[in-house]
Order: sequence, then structure tokens, then C-alpha cells
Amino acid sequence: MSLSRRLLQILNFVALIAMLIALYMALIQAPDAINVDPSIRPAQRIIYFHVPSAWSSMLAFFVAFVASILYLVTKHVRWDIWARSAAELGIAFTVAAIISGSLWAKPAWNTYWTWDPRLTTYTIVLLLYIAYFMLRGAIDEPSRRARLAAVYGIFAFLSVPLTFMSIRWWNTIHPVIVDAPENTSKFGLSPNMLTAFMVTNAAFVILFVTLLANRISLGWAEERMDALKERLNF
Amino acid sequence: MTYLAAAYGVIWLALFLFVFSIFRRQTRIDAEIDALEDALERLERK
Repeated sequence: MSLSRRLLQILNFVALIAMLIALYMALIQAPDAINVDPSIRPAQRIIYFHVPSAWSSMLAFFVAFVASILYLVTKHVRWDIWARSAAELGIAFTVAAIISGSLWAKPAWNTYWTWDPRLTTYTIVLLLYIAYFMLRGAIDEPSRRARLAAVYGIFAFLSVPLTFMSIRWWNTIHPVIVDAPENTSKFGLSPNMLTAFMVTNAAFVILFVTLLANRISLGWAEERMDALKERLNF
Repeated sequence: MTYLAAAYGVIWLALFLFVFSIFRRQTRIDAEIDALEDALERLERK
């Protein structure tokens, strides 16, 4: 077994352990939220996985953004693999965050969905990155596909800081968890809740790095397969 | 409690599907690379 595959296996194991610890912290160790109606206290624990999913998606889109710039500068296929791997991962985390957010919203807001600035801008982010893969799928020539996808990836990323700041800039019912300004809907975290929140966030960062490494490895295999097909004139 | 279970279920399902999709694609590509390398080797031997 090659060294990179062995390292991937170790990383996979570490991520699994980190996620099990995160699950324990979120469901057992963290205390109930006391500043909310008792009937919705269990649902408040959704934030321990909802927020890290959302942050991981933004981290993934940021990696795709940086890789897109690096591809345009260097024209090295490595950065195209990084960009598409991170963007794919970003979509998966976004879907998880949106659905878990809706399931939190039902008991908290009495509706699964509302066209709040945060929810709307986040949906736009998701659609923009789905379009990123539609664009890739529409172009056959590899270097042209990589170049156009990189340009698109840079512009698509502009929607991410807009989504992050939407709950701080506009009137919204979406709570601000960290560093909430005075005029926003706060989500008070007690010290024990904050510990659980930080641990689950750290676990999701490990999970993100692990999934990205696996997806990049797959990307290199795809490149190798395409190169072999080219040599055989497929 | 139902919403909590559903939310965690959705996140773990999304994670499982993503990991499974990577595993499935990796297995298919590895098999295809093996087949292509065999074909290339046969071609070079001729």
C-alpha cells in the first residue's frame, strides 16, 4: 500500500473518532439551553451540527476560491482538482446545513422555511455551486473547462461573504451565534455549551480536511485515467 | 426530539452518501485504470 493511501486511512480513522466525540459532546455532554421554551430545548442541540456544517461549507468554498486563483496563475492541474473537490464538498455541507436548519426552524420559528436574508443568500450560494458543476459538465476540452470553471469559481465565491454577513447587515430572524452585534437576534451559549460547540466545530474541520484529501485523491485517479485514455486514443 | 433525530439523521446520511459516492467512484476508476494499463501494455508489446 502506498504511503498516501496509508495516510488517508489514518486520517479517515481520526475523523471517525473526532465525529464520535462530537456526537457525544452535542447529545450528551452539552447542557440544555435554558433561555428557550422547554418544548424546543432538544431541538436546540441541532446547532452543534448545523453551524459546523455551514462553516465547513464556507471553508470549502473558500478553498475552491483560492485554488481557482492559483489555477489561473499557475495553470497547474493540481489546483483544478483542489477547486472541484472543495466545491463538491461545499455543496454536500451546504445541503446538510440547509436541511438541518429547516428542521431546527420548525420548532423555533413554527415554519420549515422563510425567505429570510440568510436562508435566501445561502440558497443562492448552493445554486451557484450547482451551476459550477453544470458549467464543468458542458465543456469537453479539459484546459478550457478548468480555466472557465476557475473564473466562475472566483465570482461564485463573492456570494459566500455576503451570506456570512447577511445576518449582521440586514434585519433577520436568524440568530447570530458568535460575536453578535447589539441589534441582532442573539443565541446565548453558556460556557459548557460553548465547549461542546467548539469541539464539534473542530471535529467538522477534521472531517472537512479528511473528505477533501479523499476527494483530491479521487481527482488524481480521474486525471490518470484520462491520461491513459488519451494515450490509447479513446 | 423528533426534529433533533431527523436533523442528525440527515447530516449523517449526507455524510454517508458522500463517502459512499467517493468510495464507489474510486473503485470504478481503479478498475478502469487497471484495464487501461493492461491494454496499453499489450499494445506496447506488439
